[in-house]
Order: sequence, then C-alpha cells, then structure tokens
Amino acid sequence: MKQLTKKSPYGIMIAIAILVVLCVIPAFGSTYALSILTLIFIYMTMGQMWNLMGGYAGLLSLGMQAFIGIGGYCLAVFSVNYGVNIYLAILMGAVFSVLFGLAVSPALFKMTGVYFAIGSWVVAEALLIAFSNWKFVRYAQGIGISTVYQLSGTQVYYTALALGVVAVLVVLCLMRSKTGLALMAIRDNTGAAEVMGVPIYKTKIKCYMIACFFMGLAGGVMYMVQGYIVPSAGFSIQWTVAMTFMVIIGGSGTMEGPIIGAVLYVLLTQYLYNFPGWSMILLGAIAVVVILIAPRGVMGTLHEKTGFEILSSRRNLY
Amino acid sequence: MNEMLCVKDLGISFGSNEVLKSVNFTLYEHEVLGVIGPNGAGKTVMLNILTGILRPTKGTVTYQGKDITGEDVTKRCKSGIGRTFQVPRPFEKMTVFENIMVGGVYGGGMSEKHAKVKAHDVGEVIGLQDKLTWFGGKLGLLDRKRLEIGRALATEPKILLLDEVGGGLTESEVGMIISLVKTVRDQGISVIWIEHIIRTMLEGTDRVLLLAEGVDVTCGPPLDVMNSQAVKDVYMGGEEDR
Repeated sequence: MKQLTKKSPYGIMIAIAILVVLCVIPAFGSTYALSILTLIFIYMTMGQMWNLMGGYAGLLSLGMQAFIGIGGYCLAVFSVNYGVNIYLAILMGAVFSVLFGLAVSPALFKMTGVYFAIGSWVVAEALLIAFSNWKFVRYAQGIGISTVYQLSGTQVYYTALALGVVAVLVVLCLMRSKTGLALMAIRDNTGAAEVMGVPIYKTKIKCYMIACFFMGLAGGVMYMVQGYIVPSAGFSIQWTVAMTFMVIIGGSGTMEGPIIGAVLYVLLTQYLYNFPGWSMILLGAIAVVVILIAPRGVMGTLHEKTGFEILSSRRNLY
Repeated sequence: MNEMLCVKDLGISFGSNEVLKSVNFTLYEHEVLGVIGPNGAGKTVMLNILTGILRPTKGTVTYQGKDITGEDVTKRCKSGIGRTFQVPRPFEKMTVFENIMVGGVYGGGMSEKHAKVKAHDVGEVIGLQDKLTWFGGKLGLLDRKRLEIGRALATEPKILLLDEVGGGLTESEVGMIISLVKTVRDQGISVIWIEHIIRTMLEGTDRVLLLAEGVDVTCGPPLDVMNSQAVKDVYMGGEEDR
C-alpha cells in the first residue's frame, strides 16, 4: 500500500510532556546539564530558522551568522555602554537584525541558488571586516558583556528555553497558516507553485524577515551565555556550518529535524570538546555518512518511510 | 461565441534563434483548441508565453478583451489562466489534498476552509478521491497527470492550458484523459491542449491549430486539419522536399 500520512495522535501530549520536564529540570538538574540544554535550545532556534529558509523557502544562505553577530553586539553595546536592560537589548538586536535584513534584501533577492548563498556570505564577511575596524565596538578586541554576569544559570536556561519554544511555535504556526502551504509548495517545486498563484518573492521575504528576527534573538541569547564577543567569533561562518549540519542530520524541510539535529550537534561537539583538531573532521564525516545513507536526515527519512511526524503541519481532510 | 483569448503576431527569440515567428489564433468560450506540430514547432514555448513564464519579443496576448502581454505568472493564474506541465510536477512531499489546496488558496484566492471543500470536489472530478491522503511523489504517471489537471482546476480557471497531458499514457488511460477534458469543458472552461496523440485531437477537441517552425499554419475542425495538405507537408515534407 502506498504510504499515507500519519500524524502522531499523541503529538501534542508528547510535546507538552517534554516541555513540562524541561521546565522543572532546573530544580534537580546539574549546572552542566543546564548549560548543555541551554545550548541545545539556542542551536535549535538557529536550526529552525535556517530550515525555514533553506529547507522550505529554498533560500540556502551561508550568511546567517551576520544576524548572530548583530544580536550579540546589540546585547553588548546597549547593555554595557548604555545600561539598557539585558532582555530589551536582546530584543533590540532582533529588531536591528530585521532592519539590516531589510536593507540588504533588495540586493540579495536579485540572486538565486548558489549566488544567493555566496552573496549572503559576502554580506556577513563584510560585517566581520567592518566590526573589526570599528572603534565604537573596540575593533577586533571585542567587548566583555559584564552585564550578563548578574544572571544566574537558571535565568539563562529559561531564557533559552523560551526562545527555543517560541521559535518552534512560530515556525509551526507559520507552517499551519496559508503561508505554510505556499512554503511547502515552494520547497517541492517552485516553478509549479508560481503558476498556481503562489507569490514566491513575498513568501520568501516573509521567511527571511522572520529568520532575521530570531537569528538576532539567538545571537543575543548565545552571547548572554558566552559573555564576550569578538567579530571573528560573532560573524564566524562556523555558525552557519553548525546550522547546516543540524538541518542535514535532523532532516531538512521537517519541523522536528532541526530539534533532533540540535541535540545531536550539541552532544557531539561537547563529547568531542577534548579533541579540537578532530571534532570538525568527525562532524563532517558524520554529515557525509548521513547524506549517503539517509539523504533526508533522521526525521526526513523516518517521515518518508513511515509518514510519521509529531509537529505536523499537514492539512486534515475535514 | 465570445472570445476568451486572442493571440496576435506572437513571436519570441532566444538570441538569434527565432523560436516563434508569428502565431495568431483565437480561443473561444467553452472551446477545446488542440495544438499540434512537430517537435521544435514552438508549442510549449507558446504555452509558456501564455502563462507569463516567458515574455514575447513581439505580439500581443489579449484575455477577455484585456491586454495581458506584460502581466506576470501569478497575476495571470489569479485572473483565470491555469496550466499543466508536460512532465508532471507534483508537490512530492505534500498530500494530493494539499497539492489541490495550494491551487484553491492561492490561484483561486479561497480561504483554507473553502479550499478544502474545493479539493474534495476536484478530487472527485479527477478521480483521485480515494487517494487524497497519498503523497504526490508516490503517485503513478496517470495519477500525476490527473493531479496536474486537478491543481489547475482548483485555481478556478477560465482557460486551462494542457501540455501533452496524454503523453506516456496507455490507450485506455488516454481515453480517461479525453473524458476528463470533456468534463472540464462542460464546466464552462476553455482549453488549449497541446498533444501529439492523434486520437486526443480527433475525439477531444473542437478545433485544431497546426504550428510549424514558429508559425500557425492552419486552424479548423479536427478532421479537416488532420486530412489537410498542410499537415502532410509539415509532418512528411512538402513536394519540394520529396
């Protein structure tokens, strides 16, 4: 029998149970466990947004680190230099990311495919160079974000959890909205979607702006954890490498893929932390093996073989 | 009969390659116009111009009395021009139901609720009512072709452009497509149908247009065109070629 779609009947219950456990973990979890989970939530947000763009809208960006850097620097500059509340500074980072995204999008969206990827990378590299030569942000020396030291590990944990949950919910709501239908159609065949009246450009811009906003937030929360930002790290392509890895491993174009990818990525990088020379080689090797064995990633393959999904954006017949 | 689509002196060149030189024809209300012609005659290119994927280098396309030559793909779809592709392009990871819904929501401008009702109706018309939950990528060729038509129908078109929808199908499957096209026409939709299969043109169309080397050679009732000297010349070579 040809495969039908299968929504897990327990999807919402499973999701709520996981969320409840995550909410109470600080009561009994170790500091190390909290820090690992914090990283997972932040990377999950980045993965969701990269997946929204690359997995659904066909926007394979190599420059999303631009918004991580903007988010991090906004937190540093506004909270340290101007005494703005940390959470407000993070939100301002997201707003600045959207504004920057709006400013570069007319040029970027003239490009498609590999040109868009390279163009977005060039923009991020330009920011890296600009910030490295900008006195206001202390050149390449970077800024110590002393304001975040007043926060406890638990506060940071809950901030990251909230970010991750909101990011997943926003993408889920988006996928269940009218725009979600358009995104799935664009993902599967842009040409066919266009002749059926799907506004390709408008839909892509909408995704890009949402991704910019959440990347800015993720950047802010990430540097809330790290406490020090330099341009070479804030605008490093390493962020995009991580996002790509997570989405490839977890499953591009699926809701659950970036979540699974984030868990695997953070656990692997932590496990390989003591082998800095080998960690990237091993991660690369794992990505190659997954691409060869299960090109659609863990969740994509599971979905393809069984139709199973938890965070479904499928339309019911009635 | 009212004119639905009027094409005048349509031409397009890619560099020095003049694919369409001058095409002229009119499509009327409730009419199925077949388009035949050898490979390279410019049939699919013409369809791409009519849907707005390609811009002509000369000529005009008038739809219900309005010049739409400069309009983009999305706008044309929303104004009532639907199409299928020669090689079916289903949204593979979406269900048949969702595939059809995309047409209703975007091309037809419906709410999701309305688009769901439409998807059920269209599913019945194209004979995929029992496969609405199947993934588009899991369908066989006939069902993919049906889905192509279904998605276009969900946009509530006034004109449906079919590009070799019978290609690669068995004799009985072609029969199903012919009756499906007749059903579509009976719903008041005008059709332009590009095809190589003679049977589809004879049984499924009201008039046939012969295209060759980027020019409309002749147009008329199917049997008259098929028996015309022009068809013999185009497909088998004229006197001077023999």
